[in-house]
Amino acid sequence: MDKEKPELDEDRRTFIKKVLKGTLAGSLLLVIPLRADDPGTSEQIPEDTPEQIPGIRGREYDMSRHRFVFVVDVTRCIGCGSCCVADKREYNVPDGHYRTWVERYIKDIDENIYVDCPNGGLDGYQKPREDLDRPVRDTFFVPKLCNMCKDPSCVQVCPVGATFRSPDGFVLIDSKRCIGCGYCIQACPYSVRFLNPVTRTAEKCTWCYHRIRKGLLPACVQVCPTKARKFGDLNDKESEVYKILSGPGVITVLKKDMGNSPSLYYKGVRREVI
Amino acid sequence: MEPSYNSHVKRIILGLVIFAAVGLIGKKFMTPDSFGMYGHYRADAIQEEADREMRHKTNAPCLPCHIYEAELHLNGLHKTISCEFCHGPMADHITAGMKTGELPVKKGEEIKVLCLRCHNKAIHARPEDVIRTVVMPDHLRDQKVRETHTCNQCHHVHAPYNYIDQAKQALGIKEAS
Repeated sequence: MDKEKPELDEDRRTFIKKVLKGTLAGSLLLVIPLRADDPGTSEQIPEDTPEQIPGIRGREYDMSRHRFVFVVDVTRCIGCGSCCVADKREYNVPDGHYRTWVERYIKDIDENIYVDCPNGGLDGYQKPREDLDRPVRDTFFVPKLCNMCKDPSCVQVCPVGATFRSPDGFVLIDSKRCIGCGYCIQACPYSVRFLNPVTRTAEKCTWCYHRIRKGLLPACVQVCPTKARKFGDLNDKESEVYKILSGPGVITVLKKDMGNSPSLYYKGVRREVI
Repeated sequence: MEPSYNSHVKRIILGLVIFAAVGLIGKKFMTPDSFGMYGHYRADAIQEEADREMRHKTNAPCLPCHIYEAELHLNGLHKTISCEFCHGPMADHITAGMKTGELPVKKGEEIKVLCLRCHNKAIHARPEDVIRTVVMPDHLRDQKVRETHTCNQCHHVHAPYNYIDQAKQALGIKEAS
């Protein structure tokens, strides 16, 4: 009997320890998912990443407060293709498809226009074109991406409501509803859509909606070394895009007569660009 | 049952009612919850897009670990260049604060190709006020170095004028303007 007693005490001690540990672990489990359910989705952002678009972090996102626009300054684009590389990596875009690309326009001395875009500009432009007979008068690069139209034709033709224009002005695709019929690909006047060969759903540039909602610039804007790509909120009178669009200079949209009212503006673009 | 004068009308009406009921019940079950909240689409898709994994994470999280490169990068002419363009996205390197992969560092001929992506004068449309461009191999000849030289033998990739400015200072050379 004398021998058994200490053993019993030890058992009780370990039992109490286990119960305490279990309670602690259990209560931790209760606390952790609460943070994950937080709609702020702030855990993805490293804490040392400064906010790039003011007025988004630290408050509930109000879709009607913002009017986002994209401005491409053609006069500053050097055709390095950083944007194309960043875009492909951000979304793991399958080879041969492009959410954004950079076209090279060449105008010869007879005003003939030649446009090329080898591999969407992913490898940059390493060599000048050698297949032209006449002397070249002018060369310029034109980055292309989704125009985020106010009256998007792609949304009109979607038979299942898989593509839509959100209240904050982004034309997005619901890949869970998309049936891959390809109507939107044909309807888009800017040819920004493609059918993803892996998921078999339509895909296109979203202006990096997931980054904007975290207060960060789109990946292509972030990596552009010459600040040819600019993004911001027109309702913010301090933003660079507001200053550009309210100031002087040649500001145009592509294919204005299609009536889609794009939110993508080009600064200093030549009339030859389509 | 004895067929009455208008029993066929009753049958049609009953059929239509069943058809409508099945349709309505089917619609209720098969329409996603948030469909139609803002328009003819699933409103939850907006949040799903917003929750997409972010693979590029700007330069800010790179600098605290790579202090030597940060110092050069922030004070050099290449400060507008994203780390991730040359080295790949942060998501392939760090996941939840832990190093998960090695990012590539360009070497030798790769460097030359990378530099000339932007600095090749042969491609027009590169205005002087935006970027300084060179013609290769004329630039190497002008600088009186061998034509096999790669760019990074004179120019530090993170701060292109760093070595050159240091050498000029040490030798007391003034820029011939």
